Amino acid sequence: MSRRNPKPQKFDAAGKPPRPPRPPRTIVRYPSERLTPWLVEIPKSARADMLVPARVYADEALWERAIGDRTLEQLVNVATMPGITGHAFAMPDAHEGYGFPVGGVAAFRAEDGVISPGGVGYDINCGVRLLASEIQVEEVRDRIEPLVHDLSRTIPSGMGRGSGRGVVVEDMDRLLGEGCRYLLDQGLALPADLETTEAGGALPRADPGKVSDRARERGQGQLGTIGSGNHFVEVQRVERIFDPSAAAALGLREGQLTILIHTGSRGLGHQVCTDYVRSMDAVMARHGIQLPDRELACAPFHSKEGQAYFGAMCAAANFAFANRQAITHSARQVFRRAFGDGGGNGDGGLRLVYDVAHNMAKLEEHEEGPLLVHRKGATRAFGPSNAETPEAYRGVGQPVFIPGSMGTASWVLVGTDEAFGRSFGSTCHGAGRAMSRTAAKKVKPGQEVRKDLEDLGIVVRCAGAGELAEEAPHAYKDVDNVVEVVHQAGLARKVARLVPIGVIKG
Amino acid sequence: MTRPPVSEPPATHRWVDHTSEVELEVWAPDFAGVLAEAARALAGLLLRNRDAEPEGEPRVLEVESHDREALLVDWLNEVLFVAETRMWVPVRFEVLDASATHARVRTWGVPVDEAPSMVKAATFHGLEVREGADGCEAEVIFDV
Repeated sequence: MSRRNPKPQKFDAAGKPPRPPRPPRTIVRYPSERLTPWLVEIPKSARADMLVPARVYADEALWERAIGDRTLEQLVNVATMPGITGHAFAMPDAHEGYGFPVGGVAAFRAEDGVISPGGVGYDINCGVRLLASEIQVEEVRDRIEPLVHDLSRTIPSGMGRGSGRGVVVEDMDRLLGEGCRYLLDQGLALPADLETTEAGGALPRADPGKVSDRARERGQGQLGTIGSGNHFVEVQRVERIFDPSAAAALGLREGQLTILIHTGSRGLGHQVCTDYVRSMDAVMARHGIQLPDRELACAPFHSKEGQAYFGAMCAAANFAFANRQAITHSARQVFRRAFGDGGGNGDGGLRLVYDVAHNMAKLEEHEEGPLLVHRKGATRAFGPSNAETPEAYRGVGQPVFIPGSMGTASWVLVGTDEAFGRSFGSTCHGAGRAMSRTAAKKVKPGQEVRKDLEDLGIVVRCAGAGELAEEAPHAYKDVDNVVEVVHQAGLARKVARLVPIGVIKG
Repeated sequence: MTRPPVSEPPATHRWVDHTSEVELEVWAPDFAGVLAEAARALAGLLLRNRDAEPEGEPRVLEVESHDREALLVDWLNEVLFVAETRMWVPVRFEVLDASATHARVRTWGVPVDEAPSMVKAATFHGLEVREGADGCEAEVIFDV
């Protein structure tokens, strides 16, 4: 794919000739060795400044994609960051990003390593939660369309004025400090929800005082909203079970109606990242850190700047957990209107299976000691015996959800104990983009994408045709291929495949 | 009321596609022109190229940074912040004062019904500002 648009879109007012296109940027090739059919290593000797080797989980086809853009150069850059240990990893859905590649995992020694806002990304704690109903799709087929429309009306996009906005937050400090626990007090969550949310929906090291007024202002009115881009709420059907005993432990069966929520910390998280990339860029030299890309801006974890970012990032992550919880509350209201009270246990017939982040830095105990594991577009995937796997899923593995692109399948996986040693307990996070937004729109306009989805029996609610075209299935890699690689590599196990029947986009 | 500038300075820009982000290239006679042209380009992205005539009173935006490249990023993030929180997208720009570490810009904008939240931030990745006899050029990548 050409990286450069050969035609300038705008010329200067003085009528000077258009600027010539610059030659395409060089894609750097590194020596590499295929270790298994699912894993390739770039040795530490590939570039003089690497501190550790880099590893890419990919079959031949996904490897060809990875070497086609700057994914590997970005991964090699990560391998130069102070305090990195083990390997710099790329998951099979990895693609070129800014600073870290999307789909990157890197662990830094807490003692003398760094923390990097760019290693988490602008959408702090972007993540996924799965809700399972007791309803079989076939029993309610004729009620799906009004259900999707009611979900679309009830869950705001968060971008409009008035009713387009989310839940009013009376005590932002409590929300940032306590995450889903605050929502429990507000009547927007159930005790069972917290048990099946990563970290109980509240990271303990959150420091609301380190979240700027500007970030709070961007987050105001956005709690309980989907946002834009690739974020969505999907109504799905469990198409196929691959692991019956794990599926039973997660309460999943074929034909069941489920809801998948994919969103993050909205403008609040974007601003926290913006604030701290800026402040770390300004102090890196003082800490004696030199890096090949300014977006990798970082500071020692134990420095004043490192601790401030960690506190703010955890607070933004709590906002994101609470955001998905508030959307869950809205979905339950819709289900009660559609199907009654769902057995009277207060969840409106929608049980939270699990909620897991895929943009986060976590302080975790690993074989090497306490590590700050950065996952940017990668999901934590702890195994059956890990103490942080919820009690209900011990012996099974922590659930992992891999949303496909809009209109394609999504996957339920569980983490493995082996992944702890193979990828710091991490796996992929999605299909991964294969095509730019402009290129996707050229392939097929939004109206045609909508028709394609409707022809598949999928009810679509989306604000604009442009957004539909940008997120069309052909813009992404094949999610089944990505999942097969992590399954074969032992980073997570396949449990169930879900297919969409209704899509709500911000 | 201060009127927005009628004629634009001789500056130009183009968008370059990335897999998941968008890159902006800007050329102008000087750094002040780059600040204005980059913001005009960003406004076009936020408004999805909808033609927009500014209305109402101008607002003066001010940013301070530790170097020229960071100033460009901070300036574009200021435009994003105003667009998202005030539901008002600045579309015309008059640079009142610009150095390598400080800029003050008078802006005229359009109100919007929906906060344009498609752009998360201007990033430091691949960031460059070059000034020479030919003028000033810059590259900046946005997370979208």
